Amino acid sequence: MRAWLFRISFSHLAQYPGRTLLGILGIALGTAVYLSISLAAASALQSFQVGVTAVAGQAQWRIQSPGAPLDEALFVKVRRLASVAAAAPAVESVLELAGVYRGPVLLLGIDPFSERPFRDYEFSHAVGLSDTAWTEVLTRPDAVLVSGPLASRLGLKVGDALGVMVGPRRQALRVAGIFTSRSGLYPLDGAVLLMDIGPAQELLDRVGGLDYIDVIGAGPPAEVQRRLQAALPPGVEVVRPAAEVRRTEGLVASYRLNLAVLSAIALFVGMFLIYQSVTLSVVRRRREIGLLRTLGMTPGQVLFLFLAEGLASGLVGGLLGLGLGVGLARGVLAVMTQNLSSLYMPVAAQEVGVQGGLLLQAWGLAVAATLLAAYLPAREAARTQLRAVWHREELEEKIESKAGLIFGWGLVALVLAGVGAYAKINDGPPWPGFVAAFLILLGFALFTPLAARLLGQGLQPVLRKILGPAGDLGCRYLAGSLSRSAVSIAALACALGMLIAVTVMIGSFRQTVNDWVSRAISGDIFFGPAVFSTAAYDQYLPPEVLAELRRDPDVADIYLYRCVRIPFKDRYILVIGGSFEVLARHGGLWFRQGDTREIMERVGRVEGGGEGAGVRGQGSGKDNFATSRSNDDNPEPGTQNPKPAAGQVVISEPLAETLHLQEGGTISLPTPSGPQPLTIAGVFYDYRTDGPSVWMDISLFRRFWRDTHLNAVRLYLKDPARVPQVQARLQERYGGRYRLLALSHRDLRKGILRIFDETFALTYALEGVAVVVAVFGIITTFLVLIRERVRDLALLQAIGASRRQILGMVLVESGLAGGLSFGLGAACGSVLSLLLIFVINKQAFGWTIQLHFTPAIYWQTLILVLTLSLAAAAYPAWRAIQPHLAAILKEE
Amino acid sequence: MIKLVEVSKVYHRGPEAIQALDHLSLQIDSGEFVAVTGKSGCGKSTLLHIIGGLESVSRGRVFLDGCDLAHLREPERTRFRRDRVGVVFQSFNLLPLLTLEENVALPRVLQGASYDQARQEAANWLEEVGLSGRQGHKPHQVSGGEMQRAAIARALINQPAVILADEPTGNLDSVTAAQILTLFSHLHRQWGKTIILVSHAPEAGQAADRVLRLADGRLLA
Ligand SMILES: Nc1ncnc2c1ncn2[C@@H]1O[C@H](COP(=O)(O)OP(=O)(O)OP(=O)(O)O)[C@@H](O)[C@H]1O
Ligand SMILES: [Mg+2]
Repeated sequence: MRAWLFRISFSHLAQYPGRTLLGILGIALGTAVYLSISLAAASALQSFQVGVTAVAGQAQWRIQSPGAPLDEALFVKVRRLASVAAAAPAVESVLELAGVYRGPVLLLGIDPFSERPFRDYEFSHAVGLSDTAWTEVLTRPDAVLVSGPLASRLGLKVGDALGVMVGPRRQALRVAGIFTSRSGLYPLDGAVLLMDIGPAQELLDRVGGLDYIDVIGAGPPAEVQRRLQAALPPGVEVVRPAAEVRRTEGLVASYRLNLAVLSAIALFVGMFLIYQSVTLSVVRRRREIGLLRTLGMTPGQVLFLFLAEGLASGLVGGLLGLGLGVGLARGVLAVMTQNLSSLYMPVAAQEVGVQGGLLLQAWGLAVAATLLAAYLPAREAARTQLRAVWHREELEEKIESKAGLIFGWGLVALVLAGVGAYAKINDGPPWPGFVAAFLILLGFALFTPLAARLLGQGLQPVLRKILGPAGDLGCRYLAGSLSRSAVSIAALACALGMLIAVTVMIGSFRQTVNDWVSRAISGDIFFGPAVFSTAAYDQYLPPEVLAELRRDPDVADIYLYRCVRIPFKDRYILVIGGSFEVLARHGGLWFRQGDTREIMERVGRVEGGGEGAGVRGQGSGKDNFATSRSNDDNPEPGTQNPKPAAGQVVISEPLAETLHLQEGGTISLPTPSGPQPLTIAGVFYDYRTDGPSVWMDISLFRRFWRDTHLNAVRLYLKDPARVPQVQARLQERYGGRYRLLALSHRDLRKGILRIFDETFALTYALEGVAVVVAVFGIITTFLVLIRERVRDLALLQAIGASRRQILGMVLVESGLAGGLSFGLGAACGSVLSLLLIFVINKQAFGWTIQLHFTPAIYWQTLILVLTLSLAAAAYPAWRAIQPHLAAILKEE
Repeated sequence: MIKLVEVSKVYHRGPEAIQALDHLSLQIDSGEFVAVTGKSGCGKSTLLHIIGGLESVSRGRVFLDGCDLAHLREPERTRFRRDRVGVVFQSFNLLPLLTLEENVALPRVLQGASYDQARQEAANWLEEVGLSGRQGHKPHQVSGGEMQRAAIARALINQPAVILADEPTGNLDSVTAAQILTLFSHLHRQWGKTIILVSHAPEAGQAADRVLRLADGRLLA
């Protein structure tokens, strides 16, 4: 019985291959996109985590100082502690390969004698590593050991030269040996260089400094940590290496969730297709159902019959989607690693790890989606009264009579969406926002039947006047075939809504960023190491350059910039030291509230500071007044009573939003000089994507971090018209010597917007897929709708309708259907864009985006939809009005 | 006057050629009521469809009031179907979306009449076929006989000279069938329509002026 039932179902699938295929393709695309996103995200993250774990090795504790090097002397002290069984010092940095090679590489400077208990890549087990290699590493300052994967990728042999960029400088290294490791090494696709710690410090310009000390404790962990902490100076932390993995997970969670939700949209649209396909099949087979029921089939079996049909599409579509998804994942991974590297952490995963769990999850999702979509019409079929003929007109009437009710449910969905938009769950991903987005889509989808009916009925008299019978009948067919067309219209509306919403959101965001660059980033030339990635924080400006810049006759003002990235709570933040009084003279930052001048002044006024002011350009005589005054205002250090706050800072909006901090509040910042309570003088709009940030005056920063490095400078010219000349001169003077880059404000804006566009490329691609799926929907709808109506069309011809009248009628109907999906989609998209901009983005990332409507997307989608729906209907209609009317009319 | 000269119709079904009409010639005068009979597959429907302009001939010529159907191009053919003939089908063929009245009014609207005008006339014709009071119903809400009456009214609304009916009683019980046949006789007598009616019912033969017997696409003497 079962097998026989299946055969009936499959024969139907095979009988309408076009429709079935499109339904399956829709599901396949949805599944593929979803899977590729999950696979790529998982691969990127896993590759990073494996790397972190591998580098951490057996270490139980890691001693580090937030955003600053540790004093080398600390190592000896730590190793001697009774609670320490083993300790290993390390410096590490992500460098760019130079010369013919490209890509990031992790340079790990280690002490070979301390390493043994720690790392997975035991040196004695290393393959191809001879004793001479070790001797060389220990004796030659440029000797490095290259990881197996990197060596094979670059074709490196022992004795080869290998160039790397250390900040702006190019350094030549020599391959002393090649090592392999039993587990994967680092996220950078195994691109690791090992070096003796001494030469590494030298190379990285960190003589006397360590990035961290790994420790294996002796005794109970809590006790070890307490003892370690007690023995360390303030500002030095003892952490678990695993914490970093968790932090990166949190870092990527929002990014990943956003993409996953977006990719689920394609699947959602695919569900509409399946729903429609099964509904059509139920309607078409009404006689058969009646007959089978008369012959003794139970309602359960009827239900099973149609569920099986949906299931078959789901299984096949899902399977296709898996294949497609794995293929797509590579491309997605490439885009994603770029995004992640420029946003969060250095990643260079190239291999997509095909995880069975994720495949199963995606497939399960596809099957569940199709089953759910097939269930509604299947239940309808099973419930049908036992009678020989199930009139489509009755189904039609039923839907028509329920249109109001369905609309009511739509309103309920919107109200719930409103509630979801206001609901706030502290921290974590903005789930209520996503639920609200789904409800908005659903709400507008549920408006479709009533809207289609009202549109058809409302326009009927008008179009009848203008277009005659074609207009009249077109409207009637629109209002009268809801059971077949409403779902397609709704599906297309949803896809368009998402497209419009995402476009408006991204457009607004882009415009906001653009405004922000002009308004909040001052400076004529931005000058610093040519690195645009998360590796930029340990790339410094050579000190002698600053001295030369100060003497430059074109330069009026110099803004100094220093940035470190530190772990803070469950995330990473940037701490930025800048010359606030220089910044204040040139417009300051863009604060969300408060007086800019006053805030800038408060932050710029640093007790006992003046370092920031002191490095100002000599040539800017007329500005000296401002500097000296701000210095004079500073009270003598030490004469004050101990104040609760160690200084004033401003923080970026994303930091304020995600950690619920406010103007006037206090932030306790971990620094190498111990935790510092700092007063938040202001919250400024900030759209850099590399993380939330705390800004302070550079003198304060130098006091806490005790370092005088600079990451970059901004130059303010006496004559801004001379930017190109100065830019060219800087490039000429330093371009050869160092890899430094001088960007004009325009270049900077272009660069920022380029990164912005890259970041959202994936989002657009996802939306495109949803639209493609919906377009499938509209094409099938009309193909099927018109093909089912050939008899009506032939009859119309038989009683004297001209071809023009018939084509006109079909085009009116499809045009109205397309127009309606656009209308609903535009309304839905506009509402959704507000949700995305003001709720989801705000909750997920903390950015305030100014709403900028992009009218182009509206008329573009309108044209697309109208063209498509007209063409999709015209083609079958044209075929249907070819001769042989008699044959069509005769068959019953 | 309807005149067929040496008309052949060949259908191709794959490699097979089916001779539905075989060098058939006949003449039907204006105002004549002709019944066509013959066993299934002998070409009755084909004949009707050719006269109604729903099907083209393979060979031969068809004239209706002197106009050569073979020479009509598509727009003229459309006008011919709309204005000159009215067709009634065995399976009614009403548009399910429209009410009975709208179904009846449709050919008039397609002709270019105003909607009010067309509905007014449709109501009159519905009354003529004995369907007053049901004009607001949709086809699936009425009986087969009522649907067929509406279909007849639709065939009449553009006042064609010729009514073609292909087994209009085939789907109806004998009582209803008799009523429909009476209706055709009435139309014939009252309005002087030329009626060509395909039917197996002996009553049809009695009502008609003349009976044409078809076999294998030829006319039996
Ligand atoms: N569209 C078509 N394609 C192929 N063959 C056809 C087509 N239409 C009719 N025929 C064939 O032409 C022959 C005549 O068909 P027609 O429909 O005219 O018969 P009929 O006399 O009306 O039969 P019935 O009494 O069963 O309605 C039949 O053999 C039929 O199979
Ligand atoms: Mg027949």
